[in-house]
Amino acid sequence: MKTSRLASAALLAYGILILAFLYLPLVSVGLASVSKARYLSFPIRKYNTDWYGEALASDTVQNLLWISLKVAGIVTVSSMVVGFLGALAFARYSWRFRKPFQKLILLPIFFPQTVLGLALLMWINALGIVPSWKTAIIAHLVWIAPIATLIVSIRAFSFDPALEEAARDMGATQWQVLREVTIPLLMPGVVSAGLFAFLLSWGNFPLSLFTTGADSTLPEWLFAKMISGYSPLVPTVGMLTVAGSAALVALGLILAWALKRLRPTT
Amino acid sequence: MSDASPILRISALTKTFDDFTALHGVDLDVAEGEFLAIVGPSGSGKTTLIRLLVGMDDPTDGAIWLRDQRIDVIPANKRPTCMVFQSLALFPHRTVGQNIEFPLKLRGVKPAVRKERALELLDLLRLPRDYYSKRIQQCSGGEKQRVALARALAFDPEILFFDEPLSALDYRLRKTLEKELKDLHRRTGKTFIYITHSLEEAMVMSDRIAIMRAGRFEQIAPAEEIYARPVSPFVAEFMGEVNFLSLSAGTVAGAELSPAAQAALAGQSGTLVIRPESLRLAPQSADLILSGTVAAEYLLGSRVQYRIDSPAGELTVEVLREDAVAGVGAPVSLGCDISAVHAIAEAEDAAA
Repeated sequence: MKTSRLASAALLAYGILILAFLYLPLVSVGLASVSKARYLSFPIRKYNTDWYGEALASDTVQNLLWISLKVAGIVTVSSMVVGFLGALAFARYSWRFRKPFQKLILLPIFFPQTVLGLALLMWINALGIVPSWKTAIIAHLVWIAPIATLIVSIRAFSFDPALEEAARDMGATQWQVLREVTIPLLMPGVVSAGLFAFLLSWGNFPLSLFTTGADSTLPEWLFAKMISGYSPLVPTVGMLTVAGSAALVALGLILAWALKRLRPTT
Repeated sequence: MSDASPILRISALTKTFDDFTALHGVDLDVAEGEFLAIVGPSGSGKTTLIRLLVGMDDPTDGAIWLRDQRIDVIPANKRPTCMVFQSLALFPHRTVGQNIEFPLKLRGVKPAVRKERALELLDLLRLPRDYYSKRIQQCSGGEKQRVALARALAFDPEILFFDEPLSALDYRLRKTLEKELKDLHRRTGKTFIYITHSLEEAMVMSDRIAIMRAGRFEQIAPAEEIYARPVSPFVAEFMGEVNFLSLSAGTVAGAELSPAAQAALAGQSGTLVIRPESLRLAPQSADLILSGTVAAEYLLGSRVQYRIDSPAGELTVEVLREDAVAGVGAPVSLGCDISAVHAIAEAEDAAA
């Protein structure tokens, strides 16, 4: 089918509009982060990068980065492990309660995060635990581990059970089957589950708000500063958060590329 | 084959799933170096049987012996047998070489020795040696078959099992690989047990055919014997096109019998089995003579097949092209010699 010149021009304009809608806000935060002004205002009169130096030197920002990184890092690793094992239970092995498990594991994803956060806070209080970044890890996991399980399951569903049986038939022990066949074949799924887990935890606001207690993550601090006591550091820290996500996505892409180079699967 | 010392002996093997019995206490002896094909329609229990033999499932009852060792009680990874899977189950994250070496790697064989063996097996399967470092994804369907075979042979099993490995290939490639497999069996001298739903495949390759139906062996015999003397109408039909005539107390409804045929069939009741190629059109003399009209005519290359409506029922006749006489609607007489007729007695028939 041939598209007329008018149609293709309209398509192009539409595409640009969508991209502008998605990315202009982000670009403006980026511009604000290099503004010399003390208040968020447009157009920007003078540019400098002083706020970045100040942000990186600030104890508060360093602490925020460290807490967010700790939470996201531990959530990532835990999600990869839970996602791997969960996917085996979800997609590979038939057992008595598989059907209910498949449904129940997905339930937390459907709860509004604010409700989930509130519910978890009530439990944390009831158990007499003082909320901190450690309890936030648990809260993040309740929501993110099911997503990781789903991502690994997609991979697990697409692999032929005969591969494991063949390995066993050729003399592999259960552990050798896991090491030689199951883990390498599920690895791409586990890596992408880890990527998602990090991004979802790193940017999470509602669950952190309810469960970090006195500690604060980057998104929480950004929100707090916006509603009371705006600091010119806000857009700067915002851009640092985006940079963290972007770095990880880049790392993921490089890793995927390297895996493909080393051993193309499917 | 009641060999003095079979390599494999299955006795009263039973498998029940919940309320469904997939195998009803089957017995089987397989001789060393034999090529046995197990043939049956889907749901006949052949896949269940092979999964029990390699240890993927546990039998409900019965025993499997490999020479003097009872193997149904030992786990799959400890059994000295190996299977080529229907899906081939080649590891997509490993190269051709790594796939072939896999069983050797599990045994802790040194890399150099492993590679040597893998290259030998590539030679044996007539794959170029530079396939060693190829990806599985780069191999064609036929090459994958050969890699799967090489990997199974690297294991050096006492018995090599096959679970319909050729079923996904196109006709010509399948024909080539059938011959190669037969040739490989001869060269390696190993015992092959091959599961298939295709009788044609079984006939080309195997020494003996075991026909399965509803969780039991219907008949176990060399191909020619199953073809000529099927024990039941099921086996007869499974072995290709066939005509059934009803035999009661030595007489066949709608047919004239010669004195010789009358003597041979005297007092018998059951079903007569006549292959389409045994019937002749307008015979000079025959032991069994039928008549009817031609209902349809099909050209099969060098042969012609007719469907004939007769008082004895619908008959199928296959003759050489030069013997073709009648056209559709023409009345014909047809007949065959008593030696081409096989009678299945009523009791056997009922048991089936």
